Parts: sequence; structure tokens; C-alpha cells
Amino acid sequence: MTNLLQLWQSQTAMLLCAPPVLYLLGCVAGQLVPAHGLSIHKAWSMARVASSGALLFSLASGIDAIFHAPSLVRGPLLFSLGAFGQCRLSFRLDTIEALMLLLVTFLGWVIVNYSRAYMAGDPKQPRYIHKLMLTLAAVSLLVVTNNLLLFLAAWVLTSLSLHGLLTLYPDRRLAVIAAHKKFLASRLGDLTLLCGFVLLGSQTGSLEMDEVLHRSAGLHTISFPLHVAAVLLAISAMIKCAQLPLHGWLIQVMEAPTPVSALLHAGVVNLGGFMLIRLAPVINTTPAAQRLLVVAGCLTAVISSLVMTTRISIKVHLAWSTCAQMGFMLMECGLGLYALALLHLLAHSLYKAHAFLGSGGMVHQAKLKSMMPPRPALSLPAAIVGGCGGLLAAAFGAHLWWLHPSTDADTLFCITIVGLAVAGILAAVLTARSIAVSMILSAAALGVCVLYFGCERLFQQVQPLAFVTHPRHAVLVFAAVCFVLLYMVQIIIRAYPLGRFATALYPWFYAGLYLDELFTRGTFRLWPANQISQVKHRRDAAQPFEARGVSL
Amino acid sequence: MKSLAHIPLSQPQTIAIREAIETACKRIAPTWPLDQFIAVNPYWGFIDDSIHATAARIESYTGSRMVMPRSFYREQWRSGALGREHLQAALDRLELITSAEELLDSLEHEPHAAPRVPLMTSMVDAQRDLLHGMSISDFVTHNVSQHCASYFDQCQSSWETPHKMSLYQSWLHHARTDMSPWLLMGIHHVRHHARTLPSEPLALIEEALTMLPVPQEEWSHYLTALLMSINGWASWCAYERWQARLSHRDDDHIIQLLAIRLAWEHFAFVRLLDSNEPPAWENAWRSIHAWREQGEHQPSVDWALQEALEFAYQGSLCHALTCVPTNPGSTVHAAPAVQAIFCIDVRSEVFRRALEDCSDEIQTLAFAGFFGLPISYSPLGVSAERPQLPGLLAPKLHATDSTGSETTDQETLQRRQRNLRLKSVLKDFRSSATSTFTFVESCGLFFATSLLGNTLHKAGLGTKAKDSDLGQYASLRPCLKKGREEGHFPSESLCDLVARILTNMSLTTNFARLVLLVGHGSQSMNNPHAAALDCGACGGQSGEVNARLLAGLLNDTTIRVGLLNRGIAIPDSTHFLAALHNTTTDEVTIFDEDRMPQSHTSDLKRLRNWLQKAGHRARKERAESLGINAQDALAPKDLLRQFQLRGCDWSQVRPEWGLVNNAAFLIAPRNRSRGINLQGRVFLHEYQSALDRDGTVLEAIMTAPMLVTNWINMQYYASTVDNRLYGSGNKVLHNVVGGRLGVFEGNGGDLRIGLPLQSLHDGNTLRHTPLRLSVFIEAPKSAISEVIHKHQIVKHLVNNCWLHLFQIEPGKNTISRYERGRWETAVSGPVKADDGFELTIGSAHV
Repeated sequence: MTNLLQLWQSQTAMLLCAPPVLYLLGCVAGQLVPAHGLSIHKAWSMARVASSGALLFSLASGIDAIFHAPSLVRGPLLFSLGAFGQCRLSFRLDTIEALMLLLVTFLGWVIVNYSRAYMAGDPKQPRYIHKLMLTLAAVSLLVVTNNLLLFLAAWVLTSLSLHGLLTLYPDRRLAVIAAHKKFLASRLGDLTLLCGFVLLGSQTGSLEMDEVLHRSAGLHTISFPLHVAAVLLAISAMIKCAQLPLHGWLIQVMEAPTPVSALLHAGVVNLGGFMLIRLAPVINTTPAAQRLLVVAGCLTAVISSLVMTTRISIKVHLAWSTCAQMGFMLMECGLGLYALALLHLLAHSLYKAHAFLGSGGMVHQAKLKSMMPPRPALSLPAAIVGGCGGLLAAAFGAHLWWLHPSTDADTLFCITIVGLAVAGILAAVLTARSIAVSMILSAAALGVCVLYFGCERLFQQVQPLAFVTHPRHAVLVFAAVCFVLLYMVQIIIRAYPLGRFATALYPWFYAGLYLDELFTRGTFRLWPANQISQVKHRRDAAQPFEARGVSL
Repeated sequence: MKSLAHIPLSQPQTIAIREAIETACKRIAPTWPLDQFIAVNPYWGFIDDSIHATAARIESYTGSRMVMPRSFYREQWRSGALGREHLQAALDRLELITSAEELLDSLEHEPHAAPRVPLMTSMVDAQRDLLHGMSISDFVTHNVSQHCASYFDQCQSSWETPHKMSLYQSWLHHARTDMSPWLLMGIHHVRHHARTLPSEPLALIEEALTMLPVPQEEWSHYLTALLMSINGWASWCAYERWQARLSHRDDDHIIQLLAIRLAWEHFAFVRLLDSNEPPAWENAWRSIHAWREQGEHQPSVDWALQEALEFAYQGSLCHALTCVPTNPGSTVHAAPAVQAIFCIDVRSEVFRRALEDCSDEIQTLAFAGFFGLPISYSPLGVSAERPQLPGLLAPKLHATDSTGSETTDQETLQRRQRNLRLKSVLKDFRSSATSTFTFVESCGLFFATSLLGNTLHKAGLGTKAKDSDLGQYASLRPCLKKGREEGHFPSESLCDLVARILTNMSLTTNFARLVLLVGHGSQSMNNPHAAALDCGACGGQSGEVNARLLAGLLNDTTIRVGLLNRGIAIPDSTHFLAALHNTTTDEVTIFDEDRMPQSHTSDLKRLRNWLQKAGHRARKERAESLGINAQDALAPKDLLRQFQLRGCDWSQVRPEWGLVNNAAFLIAPRNRSRGINLQGRVFLHEYQSALDRDGTVLEAIMTAPMLVTNWINMQYYASTVDNRLYGSGNKVLHNVVGGRLGVFEGNGGDLRIGLPLQSLHDGNTLRHTPLRLSVFIEAPKSAISEVIHKHQIVKHLVNNCWLHLFQIEPGKNTISRYERGRWETAVSGPVKADDGFELTIGSAHV
């Protein structure tokens, strides 16, 4: 009773709980279509109202949170609606959650609006609405919950409802195989996460996130089980973020409609990163977990970004890009750069949602590209000068925002990354034949640096985590060296595309280093027997409906 | 274990193999890249055979059929669209001994499948446990498809295949080290065997064919079936060959592809020999043999049903065309105020009807939308050229833009090249391996605004100008590029060309004060198949360049003098205006008004008014099919907005219906059809036989526009009856390959060609009723027969039932059908247009 009273007193709690509830209502709309003959137009209207409402409520809760700003500095707002044993219906709100909720509801709103016209005429629409809204409900619940078990349950629900979207066309054999791969990987992730949470709960005596964080931060000596818990959390995040070599499902789920890919790549796959940012104090207790994240994330980022450049279809290109970006985000978490990781998570989601939803515009892009003058050959000196110039430009950008490389290893690392990134633009300055082009390109390179460090500075305000972290110079150096190597590989490939180095490397990256083949073969062994019989082999010609185009 | 040892071949065998290869490669029709996605008759390689034999063959190659499932015809019968008389007429025409009753009985069940040409890969699959392992056919398709994509890709990947080898050799090189067959499929021997394969594709085909258990008389069928098992890429290779042959070269990518696929057959065969099961191919070839003996190319019952459906449509069309009160003398209008020349496209029919309804003073004509100009075009400052003419032809002239002043041109050129250069560097920053992370962190947040804008449709309403990314400079006008390597395009031959164009339009006298040349283009966003909605006669581009170019030429005084010398007198009071019909929104944009003499201002004002009115009428007619509610209360502006929204909605999969439901081609004076609602199903071409004494115009129409309409018609037909093989499947799964090569449906698989399901189907009903084209020509029989005899391709199309041909007696109400070299009267004598007969035909909609 007191809990309820507390709820009524706090409008923020209302605002916070509204998105999952609204999505659930939209989810019911999808089910009403076959069951009660609701017209599909009405169902879409309900889904749109629900998603718009969710967006408004999350905006309102964000604004509300600003008015409660004093308490946010001290800690999150907490609410509880009741408990079932250890699983309490408790919620929290701080800046990270507010931003994340805003992201999820914004993407939900975009995707629902997009899907209405995009899926028009598809007989699977009721199921689509149902599963889409359920997924959104689960993700928004996951974002605002304060209880670890509820967090896990919401994550499992996300994965299962997403599975329904990935197998929207169950007669597509490859879709079912990819979804099955994802199913196996996700259950493995759930298992490690469950173990991690149980250990965490047993060591800190609570399953409430704020309690866990508070208590683990206060511990003077870290027990071995807590170390194990941190490592398990890191492993779960790696599995859920599709890190090598368990990335195959992410690459192959293009068998689902475009907005599902957008949702998966922008709103679901990054939840591992969200968890790490959320539970940062626990991860920070355990150097092993951090090193694991850095090594796995860094290698995934480097390898996947190279594989990405060999891909020949837009959606698969984007999928490898996600894989790489997730690696980069986990690496940042491992390095303790949580502000950057949060920035990366949000920015990548928005970018990737846009890239997927607009992937049909690729033909237009290609037409434009065919009009572009051929790319001038890259010379090694230009690349090296570009690299040095890039480092200087990045140092300038950092300096502008009062970040000083001389004192701060993190900033030095960021300067390396940013410097190498803008090196390409600066190398193009050297080969440009007109002064105007050179000026604009130099300005663009500087602009990127200033923008980057500006965003970083901003997010350091948003995410004011001040942890006593272990000396991380070794991992910082490791990551920096990886990216310098990546830059070198890339310029050698570009400068000597027919050289021995590029020729030797290409088949490996074209094949994705053969990392996924055995996993795929293994998944067939674990194929649930009842599912098989439903899947008809695509080569059989007897598919009158699909083949004749009458079924759409 | 066998390997491909060098077996000496006898001379006749070599010749037989070369012939089999040539036949197989010839069967595959080309597919154009997505940015020039013109319609193609996918059965083009089969037209020298009857359509019935082709259907049987394709079924034996791929298992898919060329007619709709029986359930479709059953529905037609039940809805009354198909009558007993149609069935009987179809049976008579095909000379089948089946009775109409038996035909009706056959509607209740689907036919038996024809035996399949056995491929080694499918036979391996038959032995494999496909529930606990991947199918080797899928694997081979994936392997070959990915290889072709990375070989032909020039846009998507930034790390391209580092080998400058041929398609086949680079595949072989890769196969010798590729571990995926072993890791993924558990097939160990591929790498080993790849090392023993010859490095020349022809050598491989020769050796493999002699080794594989395929009877020699079946070689060409076997090779065709192989190519069709990877039909998308085979079609792409056929396109490479087509383009090469247009410029008098040759190209053998398709043979290399065949060699790659045959190499996989070899691997599969080795595997079959290793397994100790009895060889399955013997039975398979035996049943193919028996099936051929039965007479595989007899038209089946299904063709009678299809024919009957076509009879039903033709009947109503014949009726409507002969109901028009004809007055033979009035082929020429008294004094039209405006002549508007549209494309032959079926979408023009709706707009023309609406425009003619506005005033009797408007005369409309139709001509192929490239307006007879065989050009390729490159915007100012861009070196890449794109063809602006039908795919059957090679460009002879080159067009670009100019402001008229050399210095401004130079400035524009530099500005454009600078912008393109900047865009290219920034694109690299976005997608290269090192910088993509920083790109996301520094610029990613800004995509929120794009998402917001696109969701709220703020992407920009209204007709988008072509190449708007290059930056628009209003004073740019298309012009012919002078001084190509052949030297100047002589102005004499330019005059000849323009004179020929006017003659072919049947517009050589009686010019109105304003003559509008209307090209067309569509508007859609985020649509990989956008070019399929643009003007096919302009190579899948908007018709703007061609229309403006021709209008400019026709207003040129020196050209007019040249025309006068050739007997065409254009009065000084006549001005030609170019315009663009936006087929998505039915808006018409008029170009180069500033060049129009002051004297025509009031004419233009009136024309504008008519065009607006016509646009509204056309939109009202089309609204229902697009699910737009067009009540009378809706203001014209609001209705227009609904259409405009579709064009700029990034989630819209059906911006417009394109050429859906096309069914006939009418080559006649407009008087023959003016006032009849043809429901946007008929291609129209202006033709007056009285003006064409030597038959050259008719010959030109029957050998070019008629082929183009056949290509469009058959593309829609094939995509509807066989979307798996000749259509591109579900649009929501499309994944653009190589920026422009084509799409995958989903993750991979074969390249998909043809139209997506969403372009044919609205979710409830099929919007396209698959009917072969019925061509109606108002000309003397002898003239038509002469063209048929003279041109092999026309003869094939007509005699092998790839289209139906009808003749309308000039100025009379008699229609005859061309039937195996003879003319049979279909409708004769005057028909009274009374009894409340609705002059609306083609409503036998599904």
C-alpha cells in the first residue's frame, strides 16, 4: 500500500512506467486483428498512438528528471511497485536511463511509422505488430528497471519476441537457420548473465541495481566470486553484442524485413553495452573483465571493419559495420571510457537505424558515385603526412575543450584514434588539385576533431562516473597499437591494391576468417526436430503461393 | 575417384559442345543494372521456339511454370470473367481435342510436374540429410553468387578483389584455397580437385561434359538448366554480352559462369561416385527421354485457360474499338490549339484522356518517349555517360548540358567536380575501416534529425529535378555535344533525323501554335527499383533530356529550313515546348519557357490551366487503386498532396503502380480510341497509314516500339507467373548488391531480376492480370504481312504466340486476327453503339 502511495506521489514513476505499458497495449492490437477481426489499419493506428505516446512520456520523464536534477547528481530516482520474492518491480531513472529510454522510444516511433507503409499488404502484419510492440515493451522495461532479475527477464523477452520477428517468414529456410543461430547464442548469453547476477546477488546481498552498485563500490577487498561475476557479465555482453566468433547470427539476419534489421542493429544489439555502462562499478573491480573486453572488443573492431570493406551487398556491409562498432563500444567500456561508450551507443544507434531504413537509397548513392571522378591513388608519404596532420588536428580539437594529452592517457588514446580517422581526409588534401577543395577538406577534418571532443566533453557531463580505476596503460597501449596497425594495413591495401600483402590478406577477410563456418555447422546438430518438419526446402519448386506472388 | 584427365576429343564432339554452349548462352535474356532498370522479356532467348514448347522446357530446367496456377483460372471462371465461349474459342485456336467440359474439370486440380533435367548438385542433396546440414545446391548458389558479386561490384566494397583475372580464373584461384566447403559442408575434396581443373573455361566445359553422364543430345538442355540454376547472374553476364555486342564487340562472361557452375557439377559428381549409392541420373534421363517422346511441346490444357483469358479481354477491346463512329476523312483535326505528344506508356493513356476531356482544341499523340533521339547523356561536369534510349539500340549521339556561355559552363563544371570530389572524400571517411568509428562518434547524433525529417515526410514535396545532387543551375539546358571523335555531327544528317522523327510521329502537317513534347519520369524515395517506374524508352531515366533536346532542335531556325527542304513546313507561329509528366503525382512541369516568344503567353496560360485540370482528373481516377480516399469534397490541392507524399515517403513500397495490368498495344490514329476509357492498360502509338505509302513508318513501329512493348508486357507477365525465377520477390527483404547490380532477397542467394511482388500485388489481389500483349494495327493487311515476312524477330514473336496480332481495316470497323500466316475476321461490319453499352473495357479485372 505504501508502495502504491509512493507511486502516486511521484509523477516521474508514472511517466517512466508508461512506455512499456503503452507498447503492451499496441501489442494487444496486433493480436486483436486475427482474433476479433480488427482492421489492420486500426491496429496500425493503435500501434502508432502507442509509440507516439511512449515517446512523449519518455520526453516528459526526461524533462521531469531535469527538474529533479539535484537528486540526480546524488543518485538515481528509485521507485518500487511491489515484489515477488527477490524479483521486485522496481524502477530507476537517472540521466543514462533517461537518454536510453528516449533513444528506444524515438526509434520505436520511427520504426512503427516506417513499418506501416512498408509492410502494407503483407499477410503477416498482425504477427508483425504483435512481436514488434512486444519487443519494444521488453526493451523499454529493461532500460528502466532497477532489479537485476527483472532486467534479465526483460532481456530474455526481448530476445524471444525478436525471434518471432526474425522468423516472420518461416518458409525461408535461411531465415530460420539464422534465427536459430541467434537463439542458441542468446540462450548462452542468458545463462552466463544469470550466473553472473546470482553471484553478484550472493556477494552483495541484494538484486537491486543501486544497492549492488553502492555495496560493490564500498568493498575494500573484492572476493573471488565477485571477480567471477564481473567476468561473466563481460562475457554476456560480448555474446549479446555479437563479438567474434559468435557474430554469425548478426550477419545473417538480413532475412527479416528492413525495419526489423534496423530495430535489431540500433535498439537491441547494443543492450550489452548499456548493461556494462549501467554496472560499470562492478566491471571496474575486476581487471580481468576489463582486459577481456578490451582484447575481444578491439580485435572484433579491427577484424570486422576490414571484413566490412570486402562486402558486396549493403545490408551485409552494415551488419559487419555493427559488429565492428559494438566491438569498439565494448573496448571503450573495458578501457573505462564510459562517457565515450555511452556516446557511441547513442550515436551508433541513430546512424545505423537511418542507414538500414534508407538502405534502398543505395542505388541513388551508386549513381552519384559513378559520376564522381576516380579516386586518386594513395601514396605512402601522403598517408604518413596525413596521419601526422591528423594527430595534430586531433590534439588541437582536444585542447579546445580543455582536454590535455600531456596529463591524461585517455585523451592521448582518443587523439590517436581520431587522428588516424581524419588522416584520410588530410591525405586527400595533399592530392587535391584545387585550393578550395584543400581548404574545405582541412576545415572538415578540423571540424570533425572539434565535434568529436565536444561530444566527448558533453557526455562526460552526462555520465559523471568518477571511478578509482586500475592503471590501464597496458590495455590503452594495446588498443592504440591495434588501431595504428589497422591504419597501416588499410593504407598498404589502398596504396598497393594488387601487391603481395593485399593479395595474401584478401581471401581471409573475404571469408570472414572462416570464423562462422563451424558454428553454423554446429547449429544444425542442435536443430530442434519439430521445427525442421515445418521448414520446407527452398529448392523444391512446389511453392505455388510464394512463387506465384499471390500470397503477399 | 576420377579427375579431369585430358581425354582426347573428336572433332565432331568439339563442334557439338561449342554448339551446345552457344545455344545455352543464347537462351538467357539480359538484365539491366538497377539505375537503368528497363523492362526485358526474360524469355527473349526462346522466342525462336513456340511459347508452349518454351514453357515445357523451362519447367524441365527449373521446375517453374509459365502460366498461373489452375486456382487462378478457377477464380476467373467463378467470377464470370471467363466464359464458356472463351474456353471453346481457345480450344479451337490451339486445336486441342479436349472438350470445354474436360477443361472445366481440369480447373479443380493442379497439373503433374514435368520431369527435371537432373543436376548433380540436386542429386547429392537427395542423398544428404538436409535437416542437419546445409543443402549443397544452396551452398553452390551462394558461393557462385558471392563470387560474381565481388567480381562485378564497383560501388559497394572498398577493398576490391585484388586479382585482375577473368571471372573463371579468379574463381578457380579462390576455390583452390577456399576452406568453406570443408568447414561448412564437410566436403573435403573441393580444394584438391580445383587444382586439377583446367584454367581455360572452354577446356573445362569440354572435359566436364565428356566425363559427366549426360547424353550428347541433351547437352544443350543440361547447360541451359545449369545456367538457369544461377539465372540472376547468368542474366547479368548476358547483359555484359548484350552491351558488348551493341558496340560490335563480344563478351564471354556467361561462358565463364557456365564453366564455374559446371565445375561444381564435377565436384558433386565425384562425391556421388564416392558414395556407394546407385546412380540416380540414369532414371532421371530416362524419364526425360520418355517425356520428350510424348511430344513435350504440345500446348497443354493450361495454355487453353490462359488463351481463354486473353480472348475475354480481346473480345471487349475489339467491341469497344469498333463501336466508335468512324468518319474516315477526319484523321486530321480541324485546328487544334495545342498538340501534346506523349510517350506510348500505358500511364500516358489515363492522362491523355483526362487532358482531351478538358477541351476539343487539344490533340494528343503518342510516340516512344525517347522521341527518336538515339543519345547517351552525361550531365555537365560528369564524365560517366548514361544511355537515354531503348536497350535494343546503341547510342549514336551524345548529349550534355550547357548554359550557352562557355565561361559559365566552365565555372559550373568546376563547381560540380569540386563538390563531387568532396563528397567522395567524405564518403570514404564514413565507410573506411579506421575512420568509421570516429565518424559515428562525431556525426552519429545528427542522424536523429534525418530520422525525424524522414518520418515526418519533410524530405521535400514536389517534383525533384533530375540529378539534383549535382546542384541545380536553372540556366542549364541539354544540348548535343559537338566534335566527338567521328567529328561534327553533320547538320544535314541531324535534319534527316528530325524529319524522320516527325514522319514517324505522323506529324508533318497542320501544326498547332503550341506543340508540347511530354517526357515522363516517376518520383520515389529509397526505392531500389525506382528506375523501373521511369521511362523505359529512355533507358530507365526520366524523359526530360530527350524532350528538351528535341524541342530545342525543332525550334532551331536552321533545322526548320532543313525540314522545309525535306517537305515539312513548320509555320513560324508554331513553338515547341518540352515538358515532363510526373507519373507518380500526375503533375506536368514545362521547361524552357523563357525561350518562348511573347506571342504565345496566353496560349501557355490556357495550356497550364488544362494541364492542372487534367492532372486532377487523372489523380482522381488513380486514387482508388492506391488506397487514397478521393471523395468529391477533397480539395484538388489536398488530393495532390496525398500523391506528393507518396513520392517522398521513404517507407513507401508502392509509390505508383507503374505499367501494371498492361495488355494491349494500339497502333492507330488517336481518333480510333479517343473517348474510350482504356483503363491505362493499353500502349498507344500514333499511326496514319494514309500518310505512310511505302510502309517504312509501320516497319519502324513494328520493329522497335512493338518489341519494347513486348519486353514490358513479358516482364510483367513473367514476374507475375514465376516470381521465383523472373521476379525479385519480397521488397521488404531487398538487399542492394554492388550498389547497382541488382538485389538479393535477404542475406544472399542468387541475384534477383524482374519486378518485386509489391509492384504486382496489393496484398489482397493481384494487380497485374498476366495477359500476352494484343497488338492492334490500323493498316492494310498487306503492309503488316510484309513487315512480318521481312523481319525474322517479328515473325518469331507473331508466329510463336509471344503476342497476338490484330488488324483494323483503316477507316472501317472490321478487325482481323493474324492466325498462322492467315487473317481471320474477328469482328466485322458496323456495330451500333447503343443498348447502353459501356464504353469501358478491360474491366474484366481480377
